[in-house]
Amino acid sequence: MAELWDVLTEHFSELSSGFWVTVRLVAISFVIAIAVGTLVAALRVAPLKPLNWIGGLFVEVFRNTPLLVLLFISFAGLRRAGVPIDPWVAGTASLGLYTAAYVAEALRSGVFAVGRGQIDASLSLGLDYPRTLRYIVLPQAFRTVLPHLGSLTIAMIKNSAIVGVSLLALPDLLKEARIVQSRTFETNETFFWAAVGYLILTGLATLAFRALEARYAIRR
Amino acid sequence: MSYLFDPSNWEWLTSGNNLRFLLEGFLVNLEIAAIAIVFSLIFGLLLALARLSRLRPLSVAAGLWVDVWRNLPLIFIILYLALALPAPWRDFYEDNVPGFFPEALQSGRVFAGILGLVLYNSAVIAEIMRAGILSLDRGQGEAAASLGLTYPKQLRYVILPQGLRRMVPATVSQLITLIKDTTLVSIIAIEEVMRHGRILSSGFTAFVGGVEAPVLQVFIFIGLLFVVTNFALSRLSRRLEIRERKRTGGTAGPVGGLEDQVALAVESR
Repeated sequence: MAELWDVLTEHFSELSSGFWVTVRLVAISFVIAIAVGTLVAALRVAPLKPLNWIGGLFVEVFRNTPLLVLLFISFAGLRRAGVPIDPWVAGTASLGLYTAAYVAEALRSGVFAVGRGQIDASLSLGLDYPRTLRYIVLPQAFRTVLPHLGSLTIAMIKNSAIVGVSLLALPDLLKEARIVQSRTFETNETFFWAAVGYLILTGLATLAFRALEARYAIRR
Repeated sequence: MSYLFDPSNWEWLTSGNNLRFLLEGFLVNLEIAAIAIVFSLIFGLLLALARLSRLRPLSVAAGLWVDVWRNLPLIFIILYLALALPAPWRDFYEDNVPGFFPEALQSGRVFAGILGLVLYNSAVIAEIMRAGILSLDRGQGEAAASLGLTYPKQLRYVILPQGLRRMVPATVSQLITLIKDTTLVSIIAIEEVMRHGRILSSGFTAFVGGVEAPVLQVFIFIGLLFVVTNFALSRLSRRLEIRERKRTGGTAGPVGGLEDQVALAVESR
C-alpha cells in the first residue's frame, strides 16, 4: 500500500502533466469531431446525390480504418512525403476525424428522427436548405442523439491513449505512465494511477453528458 | 497528390513478396480477432447474465467488473497485461496453445494481447446484451414463468432468442471495432500487419535490392484492407438484419450500431 502512495507523490509531476496532455488532446479532438461530424452529416442528408456519396465515403473510410493506421498515415506517412506535420496536428486530426465519422452517423440518425413534416414546413416557410438544417433540424437532432454523443466522447477519451503510444510520442497519460514504469518497475502502482486518471476523465464525461441530457435531451 | 499516385511509389506492391508479406500479417490480425470474438461473446453473455442475476452480490460484482474494464482504454489494458502478467501464465499459454495455430500466435506475448481484447470487449458486449435483454417486455419472462418454465429454460427459449436478436447490429459494430483494435497488439511486438508494414517501409527492402516502399502508401494500403473487410462485414450484417426482420414481421426496433454503444436503449426508456 505504501508504495502506491509513494509512486504518486514521487512522480506526480510526470503523471499530472500526462493527464493534462490527454485533456488537451481530447478537448481539441472533440471540437474537430463535432465540427466535421456535423458537416459530414449535413452532406449525407443533403438533397443532392453527389454530396451524399462524399459524406458516405468519408464515414465508411474513417469508421473502418483503425485509428493506429490513421496515425501512421498522418504522421510518418506525410512526413516521409515531405509534409512537415506537427505531432499535435496529426494526433488531433486523426482522433478528431475518426470520431467525426461516428458523430456524423449518430447525427444522421437524429436528423431522420426529426421527421419529414418539419423539414417540409420549414422549406415552405421560405427558409433555404442550409437554414432549415441550422435552425430546425440540427438543434433537434443534437438533442435527440445526446446520449450517443456522450458514449462517443467516452470512446474518444479511451482512444486518445492510442495517440500517445504510436509513433507521435505525444507525452499523454499512458506515455508518461510507461516512462515512470520503465524507470521504477512499479508496474501495478503506476498503471493503477494512470487508470485512475482515465476513470476520472470518463467519469466526468459521463456526469457532464448526464447533466446535458437532463436539461436538453429529447426522448423519442 | 502526384506523390501519392506516382506509379513508382506503388511499385513495391507488385515487387517480390511484399504483397504476400502484408497479407500474411493481416491474416494474423483476423486470426487474433476470431479468437477474441469467440471468447468475448461467451464471456460477454455470462457477464450480462451475472449482472441481471437476482443474486445481489453477484450482480453488483459483475456490474463493477464490467464498468471498470469498459471504461479503461484498451491499449492501456493490453500494455498493462504485457508488462504485468505473471510469467507462469505466459508459459501456460505457450505450453497449451493448440498446434494448428499459426506461428505468430504461438508466442506467449499474444496471450496478453488476446486477454486484453477479451477483457475489454466482453465488458462492452455484456452491456449491449444486457440492454437487449432488458429491452424485452417484462411480460415475456413472466408469461414464461407462469407457463412453468424454470429460469434457465425461460432464458434459453424465451428471453435470450428475442433479446439477443435485437442487439445483433450493435454487437456487429462492436466486433468491427474489435477487428480494428487488433492493430493495437503491434504495440507489444506481435508480428501482425502493422509490424509488417513498418518492416516494409523501414527501407530494408530497398537495402536488399528491392524497391523502396514509402510509409504513406504502405499504410494507405493497410487501411484499405481494413476498410474492405469491415465494410463487407457491416453490409453482410445489414443484409441479415433485413432478412431477419422480414421473417419475424419486423416489430423489434434494433438499437443503433455505434462504437461502444451500450445501455442507451435502457437508459433512455
